[in-house]
Amino acid sequence: MPSIFSSILINISNGVIWGLIIGVSSLGLTELWGVMRVVNIAQGETLLLGAYIVIWLYTVCGLSPLLGIWISLVAGIVVGTVIYFLLLHKLIGKIEVMTLKVEMSTLLVMFALSIILSNSYYYWIGSEPRGLGTWSIASSSYIIIGGITLRTNEIFAAFFSVLLTISIYLFLNKTITGKAIRAVMQDSQAAALVGINPVKIKLLTSAIAIGITVFTGFLILLHEASITPETAIKYAPIAFAVVVLGGLGSEIGTLLGGVIIGFVYGLTKVIISYINPAILSDPFALSTAFIILVLVLLFRPEGLFGKG
Amino acid sequence: MERGEYMINAKELYRYIKRPTLIFIIVTIIMIPLLKIFNIFTTDTLIILMSFIGYAASLNIIMGFVGYVDFGHSVFIGISGYAYTLLIWYYGPLNILQHSAWGVGAFMLATLTGLISAFIAVLVGIPVLKLRGAYFAIATLGLDFAALYVVKSIIPALEPTKFMAAEIILERNMIIPKNYIFNAVLIAVAFTLLANYIISNSRFGVGLIAIREDEDAAEDIGVPTTKYKIIAYALSAFFTGLLGSLISLNSGGVNEYAFSLSHSIDMIVMLVIGGLGSIFGAMLGGYIYYWLYDMLLVRFPGINLIILGIIVAAVILFAPEGIIGIIKKYKIAGIRLRDLIE
Repeated sequence: MPSIFSSILINISNGVIWGLIIGVSSLGLTELWGVMRVVNIAQGETLLLGAYIVIWLYTVCGLSPLLGIWISLVAGIVVGTVIYFLLLHKLIGKIEVMTLKVEMSTLLVMFALSIILSNSYYYWIGSEPRGLGTWSIASSSYIIIGGITLRTNEIFAAFFSVLLTISIYLFLNKTITGKAIRAVMQDSQAAALVGINPVKIKLLTSAIAIGITVFTGFLILLHEASITPETAIKYAPIAFAVVVLGGLGSEIGTLLGGVIIGFVYGLTKVIISYINPAILSDPFALSTAFIILVLVLLFRPEGLFGKG
Repeated sequence: MERGEYMINAKELYRYIKRPTLIFIIVTIIMIPLLKIFNIFTTDTLIILMSFIGYAASLNIIMGFVGYVDFGHSVFIGISGYAYTLLIWYYGPLNILQHSAWGVGAFMLATLTGLISAFIAVLVGIPVLKLRGAYFAIATLGLDFAALYVVKSIIPALEPTKFMAAEIILERNMIIPKNYIFNAVLIAVAFTLLANYIISNSRFGVGLIAIREDEDAAEDIGVPTTKYKIIAYALSAFFTGLLGSLISLNSGGVNEYAFSLSHSIDMIVMLVIGGLGSIFGAMLGGYIYYWLYDMLLVRFPGINLIILGIIVAAVILFAPEGIIGIIKKYKIAGIRLRDLIE
């Protein structure tokens, strides 16, 4: 039956594009986790920060989102620096390898950050949905490729995700600074012996990682019609699933992890709505991401593309 | 270790009773009904206060003693909340049971849902407790969301007209009086605190603390780490579920908010403020958090949780052992407070 076939194609292609978005937005998380063993529990809130900056620049200052994202990148780097000095420096600003207890402390500090950020949004921005108006997904134009209707917004998001991932991959693998970051990731004491200052690298990583996360925040706006502070709760846990699936510190892996989760999400959605239309397919499909997360943690904790 | 060391003589017993933790537990259990009888606080306030102390104490078993940070502990509140509500919804005799004996019946039914929670914790714990550190925290977070999304999609399919958006509102004949709930919660909290105390003074508890300090070393000296971790996780889930189902009963039904991270936030913040790994810290954390929560809500409406977040960050950075850690440094009348608080 053609209708089922095309609905499968549409769901899967939407899922894959969404997967690219969640993949690229998890890059900052994987860097922070891989290099400094800091798990950014506030990932969702950090993403929303970028989205809110773009919305604010667009609705209040009238600045096009294409320019706004660059301002959000700068703001993200500043925020990353501030977070490092305020919260992380006291715990991880040293050369020695972190103990499990310090790791737990950073986890709780980032947890406190997520409480602070999310309640700040509720207080200063409010819980009503915000969107990009005429730039939003609802008013975006369509392209039909091989029977699949795609929104231009989403195609832009997909291209942007791939480009950004490749450029971060090149930065980390081809430049001296990037190689220094990878060195600290592997062994910070050995890196210190050959003249790399791990504390400086950690500061740099935190600025870059938070910067990227804030930068990619606007991609959420290309997928969701509008956002509320609640959106963070949907995106943060999925980012963990993506990072664990892709393998810590692997950029390409993270993007592919996102694509896999998006693909499974799209597929489950079709299957569920086909089996029993009474079951809400969207939340059920989202739960597959966490089932994948737990399975990967159990059977291949280094991730699909990680170096075990 | 020789047998003789376990024998208790009168002097030992005196020292045992002198420990303030047990006295603090007993005072709490006696004081709360008195506060209710003399109408100093409303029943609702006291139920919430007790639930805070109970949640902190139940999370303390896995996060304080074993040192496994669990972000998804609210999953057990959700599971048992839904289990309780569905049980009384579909099985009439259980509804009669929960109306019986001034709340003891409700407590017994809550025990059943606590056991369901514990059973799920064992199933989940066998694989997930192999993970350590941040991976465990992330996995529990993932489980919470997986359970939430499954419930969100399946519950409305049970009764499409009544369970809209996975929210079950109890019907009039299923709601039991507040006083009954108060009694049931009081019994549940008393059990939770005493279980904590017994664990912390047992061989099992010492084993858990050994796991927290160094899991590999504990395994080497013969602590059955896997078994102990699973038991601790199941106990923690049991007590969380026990309280969670009664609290959902208190709010007249259950909705997806039962799985909300905000419950996990409450529990973790209480433990961090009070001090991880001691029952004294968990109770102190419960009291302080309740006071703080109330005070901030009244004085700084809107930004209360922002201030709370800042306080949590400050506690982790500057007083990593919580309030217990600060108290331990001081002496009163020549007695080191460190010796008193275990």
